[in-house]
Amino acid sequence: MSTLTWKERPVAGTRTAAPGDLLTQVAGARQTGALMVGGHPKGAVYVFEGRVIYAESSSAPGVGELLTSSGRLAGRTWQSALDLGAPTSRVGRLLVEQGHLTQGELELCVLGATYDAAYFVLADRTAPVEFRPGVTHWLGPVVHIDAAAVDREVGRRIRLLDEIFPNPLIDVAPVIPVTRPPRERVTVTARQWELLVQADGQRTPADLAQLLGRAGYAIIQELRRMAAAGLIEPPEIRTADTRELIRLPQPRGSSVPVITGPEPSSRHPPPEGRKPEASRPEVSRPVAEASRPVAEASRPEVSRPVAEASRPPGEQRPPGEHNNAPVRPPRLARRKPGAKLPKEMAGEAPPVHQGADEVLLKRIRTALRALR
Amino acid sequence: MAGGKRPTGNAALRSEVPGVDHCLQEAMTIPGAVGASIVDYTTGFPVATTGAAPNEDHEAAAAGTAEVVQAASSRSLFVSAVPHDLLEDLIITTAGGYHLLRLVHTEFDSRLVLYVWLDRVRGNLAVARRKMQRLADELVARR
Repeated sequence: MSTLTWKERPVAGTRTAAPGDLLTQVAGARQTGALMVGGHPKGAVYVFEGRVIYAESSSAPGVGELLTSSGRLAGRTWQSALDLGAPTSRVGRLLVEQGHLTQGELELCVLGATYDAAYFVLADRTAPVEFRPGVTHWLGPVVHIDAAAVDREVGRRIRLLDEIFPNPLIDVAPVIPVTRPPRERVTVTARQWELLVQADGQRTPADLAQLLGRAGYAIIQELRRMAAAGLIEPPEIRTADTRELIRLPQPRGSSVPVITGPEPSSRHPPPEGRKPEASRPEVSRPVAEASRPVAEASRPEVSRPVAEASRPPGEQRPPGEHNNAPVRPPRLARRKPGAKLPKEMAGEAPPVHQGADEVLLKRIRTALRALR
Repeated sequence: MAGGKRPTGNAALRSEVPGVDHCLQEAMTIPGAVGASIVDYTTGFPVATTGAAPNEDHEAAAAGTAEVVQAASSRSLFVSAVPHDLLEDLIITTAGGYHLLRLVHTEFDSRLVLYVWLDRVRGNLAVARRKMQRLADELVARR
């Protein structure tokens, strides 16, 4: 996937279809290529002559991760097969030919990984998708699955999850075990135990799947069960908590210098990520709520401090009104470590920042080496 | 999606996959075997199927298989307290047949069970169980 860029022109007429529908269409035409699905999580389904041969997603461990994290294959065995077989798309066959895996193991592993990733790739029917004809996967064709079967199984898996506990936020939000279980006696399965031990309040289900080398869907299934049993915090409460944590520095608001000049927005410090009033319409604002702080922030606030001062001290402001918004960047959805900022936020000149980090890291590294 | 229920279960099998395919073909040589499948028991999905299924529905059979395995592996009544005393087979007998489930333990993460449906008159429980053990082990190279 990393070798493919998203900048290539998409195939005409395939842009508006849901990933699942496009897959059926491509399979019907007996095509070979890759169905690239964007959004969160990103992924791809590989089709060979109309049949699904592999799928991958950032939320599901791939064949390599499953085999190496379980200790079934040594990291270097996998790497050498990858180096040798990737250019000719026969990594899978190579592993069997060299005697590292049985054909049965390889097939079961690929089947499991494919259905697992397909769930994440195809579940979001609104995700942007394009078909790249001719693209093959380095694993090579190990299994050939009916595309309709994949699509139907994805639908079934979505329903299965909702039968357990209908809250899709659990699938993406960081996992936080409850500090006090809701009952005297708690029974967990071995898999749930693994999850509870590794959940540190930051790791998302996708992180835990990669860490444990377990199927992403199986992780989500266990999390939904644990949510139903009240063993993990429901994600809504979590967002409220985060908001409280961000709001803590609020008392400082009065000591922030008040900007009264004619161009208030241009004087804002850059990290706040706001654009001047004139350029605002260009910024795409996907969610109305998210855009509100931005709009509030860039409004000239000549009269604002006065209004605040005149407010009776006991009066509580509604949470939607951020009167101290100028000191606080707009709230963003939680991202994974290393994930990029949304476009409208990242537009402020990130390359400079990254470069600085690189230089700083290099200096730290050199300094550490000198100490040794 | 729009198609019937049958073709999906056979999807992986119909293609040229000697490993899993071979395992199921071998399972069908067990005396009295009527149908066989490999089922993912977390999702109740038939990864590969061959032959007949109860009520002519491999998917429903897989879903039922998954429920049985889940019940046996998560209810305290069947879960052994002795470490490494893992679940091996589940055998359900009816007046007309035997339903054998053998857990396939792969080293990488998977939750698979080999299911064989035997005719009661022609089948031999002990023979079938031994054969299934061998097949499940061969599939993942445990000997």
